[in-house]
Amino acid sequence: MNLNRFMAIAAAATAFCMAGAEPGRAADNYPSKTVTVVVPFAAGGNTDTFGRLVAEELDKRLGQRFIVENKPGAGGNIGLGDLARSKPDGYTIGMGTVSSNAINQTLYKALPYDKDKGFEPISLIASLPNVLVVNPDRIKANSVQELVEFLKKEPGKHTYASSGVGTSIHLAGELLATKTGVKITHVPYKGSSQAILDVVAGHVDMMFDNIPTAAQQVKGGKVKALAVTSLERAALLPDVPTMASIIPGFEATSWHGLFAPPGTPPEIVEKLSKEVQAIIADPAMKAKLEAMGVTPVGNTSVEFKDFIAKETVKWAEVIKAANVPLQ
Amino acid sequence: MDIFSNLWLGASTAFLPMNLLYGFVGCLLGTAIGVLPGLGPTATIAMLLPITFGLPPESALIMLAGIFYGAQYGGSTTAILINLPGESSSVVTAIDGYQMARNGRAGPALATAALGSFFAGTVATILLAVAAPPLAAVALNFGPAEYFSLMVLGLVASVALASGSLVKAMAMIVFGLILGTVGTDVESGTPRYVFDIPELYDGLNFVAVSMGIFGICEILRNLENEQERSVGVKRVTGLMLTKEDFKRVCGPVLRGTALGSFLGILPGGGAMLASFAAYAMEKRVSPNRAEFGKGAIEGVAAPESANNAGAQTSFIPMLTLGIPGNPVMALMVGAMILQGITPGPNVISDEPKLFWGMIVSMWSGNLMLVILNLPLIGLWVRMLTVPYHLLFPAIVGFCCIGAYSINNSVFDVFVMAGFSVIGFALSKLRFEPAPLLLGFILGPMLEENLRRAMLISQGDPTTFLRSPLSLSLLIFAGLVLALVLSPSISRKREEAFTE
Repeated sequence: MNLNRFMAIAAAATAFCMAGAEPGRAADNYPSKTVTVVVPFAAGGNTDTFGRLVAEELDKRLGQRFIVENKPGAGGNIGLGDLARSKPDGYTIGMGTVSSNAINQTLYKALPYDKDKGFEPISLIASLPNVLVVNPDRIKANSVQELVEFLKKEPGKHTYASSGVGTSIHLAGELLATKTGVKITHVPYKGSSQAILDVVAGHVDMMFDNIPTAAQQVKGGKVKALAVTSLERAALLPDVPTMASIIPGFEATSWHGLFAPPGTPPEIVEKLSKEVQAIIADPAMKAKLEAMGVTPVGNTSVEFKDFIAKETVKWAEVIKAANVPLQ
Repeated sequence: MDIFSNLWLGASTAFLPMNLLYGFVGCLLGTAIGVLPGLGPTATIAMLLPITFGLPPESALIMLAGIFYGAQYGGSTTAILINLPGESSSVVTAIDGYQMARNGRAGPALATAALGSFFAGTVATILLAVAAPPLAAVALNFGPAEYFSLMVLGLVASVALASGSLVKAMAMIVFGLILGTVGTDVESGTPRYVFDIPELYDGLNFVAVSMGIFGICEILRNLENEQERSVGVKRVTGLMLTKEDFKRVCGPVLRGTALGSFLGILPGGGAMLASFAAYAMEKRVSPNRAEFGKGAIEGVAAPESANNAGAQTSFIPMLTLGIPGNPVMALMVGAMILQGITPGPNVISDEPKLFWGMIVSMWSGNLMLVILNLPLIGLWVRMLTVPYHLLFPAIVGFCCIGAYSINNSVFDVFVMAGFSVIGFALSKLRFEPAPLLLGFILGPMLEENLRRAMLISQGDPTTFLRSPLSLSLLIFAGLVLALVLSPSISRKREEAFTE
C-alpha cells in the first residue's frame, strides 16, 4: 500500500466520520439519552399540564425519558434563560407561552437571554381561548355591544381583574379598551384563580379568563360569558359568540408551545416537530385536550415561527397603545 | 338524611382497599417529606403528578390529599426537635415546641402536635361534610377591603408573638415588611429592590428565608456553644402527655381548631395565618401566659390544631367553587384537570363519588396519620441522641436540598445561607425572628389588598369602613392595639418577660 493510497483512504474515512457528525445524521440516533423539558412555570398550571402530556407521549414514541423540570419565576424568564444557556443538542427543550415568548419581549426592559437570537420553535401544542365573563349583579349586559354601551355611560367606574400586569389576560382587557374606547380600571391579582374568585363574588366587575376554569363558573351560573377571544367558537361554550364577530380582528389566546435553544440542529427540531404534530393529531390526545377546553394545534416549526412573529408585533402594539409600564 | 347517604357513598369509595392503600401511601410520603426540612408538599405533589395519570381520579386525589395533610403533621416534627420549621404553618410551633424539646419534653410536644392535629382534622372534616357550600359563601364575602382589615388585625396581634422587648418586636415586624416588598409590584408591575437579578422578580422565598433564619441559624448557635445544646443532654422525661398536660391542652386545641377552621376557608393566605393567630390568641388568654416562649405546651397545641384544621378547610373553596386557595390546591386542580374533571361549582353534583370520597378519606387519612405518628415519636426523640457532629451536616444537607427543590434554583440556597447569617446576627442582638416572618408574610398581602381595595373604590378610603365585616375587623384590631399599649398591661409584660 503506498502512502498516497493510505492518505486517500484515511481522508475518505475521515470524511465518512465527519459525515456522521453532520447535522443530516444528527437526528438519526436522537434521542440516545434522557431529554429534559424545561417548564418555565410552576407545576400544576396550564403550561405544565401541556408539557407533561406531550413529554409523556414523546417518551413512549422515542424510547427515551423526557423529564419535565419546572423552573418558575419572573414570568417565565428564568426558565427560558436556562433553556437559552443549555447546550443546543436537543437534549434540553422547553415550553414557552404567549407571555414568555411574545409579550415579555416587549414588556421586559432586560431579558436573561438574547432576545434577537430567540429560540427554535418546534411546534405550537395548544391554544386556550380566553372568555370575557361579567358578574351579572354588577354589569347589566347580555352582549358585548350592551357591555360597551353600559361602560361608556359610566367611564372609569368599572373594573376588570387580571392575573397580573402584562399577562395575556390583562392585555386582552387593554385590547378591549383600546378597540372600543371604553374606560375601565385594571385590578391586577397574583394569578387568575384569585381574580376569578373576586369576579364571582362581585368585588370586581369582569375579566377575561382562560376558558377551562371560567367555563365551569359560567355553567355554575356564577358569572355570565359574553364572548370568547378565539377566532372560532369554543367547544366548551358553543353558544358564546366570538369577540372577532363583534370587534373585527380581536384575538387574544393563551398559547403554549415547545421550543429548543437557539442553534439546535434543524434536523432535531424537525424530528421533534413531526413527533409533536403526530401526538397532537392522535384522536385520543385531541379528545383529551378538547375536553379540557383547549384547541389542539400541532403546527410545523415554520408555521409556529411566523405565528410568534405576528403575535409579538400585535402585543407590542397593545402594550404601547395602553401605556403598560415596562418591567 | 341526605348527609348520611352522602357519607355512605363517600365511605364506600374511600374504604375500597385500593383507595385506603393510596391514602396510606400518601400519608406516609407526606409525613416523610414533612419531616425533611424544606421539601414541601408542593414539590412532592409536582413530582408525583405523572404517577397519578394512570390511577382512577378518586385514588389519585386521595393520595395527593394524603401527601398534603401528611406534610402538615410531619412539618411540626422538625420544628419541635431541631427548631427547623419546614413550612410556614409550623413557624410558631417551633417557638415553644423547641423549648419543650430542650427541657426534655420532646415526646409530649410531638404527641400534642399529633393528637391536636387529629382532633382538629376530625372537626374540620365534619364541618366540610355538613357545611361546605355555605362556608364557601362566607369566603366570597372576603374582598380586598376585608382582607386588608384582616391583615391589619394579624399585624397588630403579631406583636403578641414577641416575648421580649416591644420595641424590638416592632422593629422586626417592620424589617419583615421591608423584606416583603422585594419583587415585582403586583399593582404596577414595577420591580422593586431586585437589582436586575431575575430570581428576585418574584420576591424572596419564604421557605428559604425561614429555613435560614430558624434552622441554619440554630445550628450556628449550637456550634458556637457546645454546652448550651441541651437537647440531647437533658433527660427525656416520658413520651406521652401527663394528666395535667391533657387538662392544659384541651382549651387551646378547641380554640385553635375553631380559628383554624375559619381562617382556612379564606383563599389567599388564610390557612397560613391560622397558626400565627392561634398562637397569638393563646398567649393572650392562657392562664400560663408566663410560660410562653419557654416551652408552654399550649404554644404547641393551639397552632398545630389550627394549621391542621386550616389545611382541611382550605379544600372548601377548591371543591365547592373550583378555585384553589394555595399552591397545593392549585396542583390538585391541575391533577383533576389531567383526570378530565374540571373543578368548578358543579363538582359536588357532577362528581358526588369523588367529592364525598375525598371527604371521608380525609378523616381516614387523619386517623392513619395519628396511628402512624404516635409510635414514631419514640424514634424521633431518639434521633436527638445522635451526636451533633453527625446530625448537623445531615440537617444542613437536607436544608440545601429543600431550598433548591422549591423552584429548582440554586439562588434559593444562597438566600437561605444569607438569612442564616442575618438570623445569627439578630439572635446575638436579642431580636426574635417570629415577628419578622409574620411581617414578611403579611406585608405583601396587606399592601396588595390595600391598593386593590383603593383601586376598586376609585380611591375612596371609606370603603374599609362601609363593609360591616371590614369595619368589625378594624375595630377589633383597635381594641387589641389599645390592650397592648395600655400602661397596666405593658407593665405586666415587662414583669413577665424581663429577666
